[in-house]
Amino acid sequence: MVCDDVRRVVYFFLDDQLGERKLEDLRGHLKDCRNCDDRVAVHKRLRDFIRRRLHPLSAPGPLRSRIHEALRRSPA
Amino acid sequence: MKSAEAYEHEQGWDFEKAAMPYVDSLYNTAYRMTRNSEDAEDLVQETYLKAYKYYDKFEEGTNFKAWLFKIMKNTFINNYRKKKLTPHKIDFSEIEESYERVIQKNAPDLIRDPETEIFQDMMDEDVKRALDTLPHDYKMVVLLADIEGFSYKEIAEILDCPVGTVMSRLYRGRKMLERTLLEYARKYGYIRGGEPAKMRSRKDEGKSGAKKKGGADVEAEEAPAGDEEDDLNLLASDTEEFEFELDDSSEEEEEFELE
Repeated sequence: MVCDDVRRVVYFFLDDQLGERKLEDLRGHLKDCRNCDDRVAVHKRLRDFIRRRLHPLSAPGPLRSRIHEALRRSPA
Repeated sequence: MKSAEAYEHEQGWDFEKAAMPYVDSLYNTAYRMTRNSEDAEDLVQETYLKAYKYYDKFEEGTNFKAWLFKIMKNTFINNYRKKKLTPHKIDFSEIEESYERVIQKNAPDLIRDPETEIFQDMMDEDVKRALDTLPHDYKMVVLLADIEGFSYKEIAEILDCPVGTVMSRLYRGRKMLERTLLEYARKYGYIRGGEPAKMRSRKDEGKSGAKKKGGADVEAEEAPAGDEEDDLNLLASDTEEFEFELDDSSEEEEEFELE
C-alpha cells in the first residue's frame, strides 16, 4: 500500500470496514510510514471532535406528547 | 374476539413502544436537515404519523430505525425541499488539495496533546455551520453515519441508493467537513497556515488555483469562476449560509476497494 492509498481508505479503516487483506496492508504501511500514521491519528481526532460537537439534541419535551396525541387521534 | 377499537388501541401501543425510543435521533437529524426547531418538530411528527399508518407494511425483523429514517427522508423531500436549491458544481479536487496542504503543514500540531480535544476552543455553532455548508446529499450521509451510527448498508437502504454511492459521498462529505473545520481553525489561529485561502491572489496561485476539468490541468491564466471559488473558501461572512445542491454531472462516483 502506498501513501495515496492510505488517504483513500482511512475513513473506511476508521469505520472498521476494511477487509482482512487491506487491513493488513494498511497496518504494515502505518508501521513504516510516520506521515501516514500521523494522518490517521488526525482523522481520528477530527472524527471524535465532530461526533462530540454535533451531539444529538434531545427532542423538546412537548413534542413527545404531541406525537402521542396525534397517534391516538389518527386512524390506524 | 377483540373489538376494532381495542385492537387499534393495542396496535397503537405496540407502535409507540417500538417507535418512541427513536424520537431524539429523529429530531436531531430533522433539526440538522431543516435547520429550525419548528420545522424539525413538524417533520418528526409527520414521520411518526406516516410510520403508524404504514406500520403493517413494516417487515418484522428488519431494521426499524432505518425504516423510520427512510420515511422521514422521503417526507422531507416531499414537503420541505420545495425551495429550489442552487445547483452547484463541486470541484472536489480543489477541496482535496487544500485539505492536503493544511494537513501537511499542521499534522504534528493536530495530534499533539491527545488528551485534550482538538480545537477545544471552537464553538459548537461553528461545527454546525461547517456541517451546513455541505451539499445536502453529503450532509445526509455524514449525519447518518457519524451521528446516528448507521452502517453503509443501512444508509443505502434509507437513501435508496447503492452502497458505492454511500461510500463515495461519505468520503467526500467527511473530507469537505473536515476541510471546512480546518479552515475555521486556521482563521481563528488554532493552527498555522499562512494566508487564508481566499486572500491568495489568483496570479500567485498559478496551477494549483486553477480549476481542473476532466483531470487535465488548465492554464493558470484561466480565472476560476469567482463565485465558486469564494463559496469553497468558506471564510465568507459568518451569517451567510450556502445551501448547495449537488450538480449531478459533478458527482463522478469514486470506487473504493475495501477488500
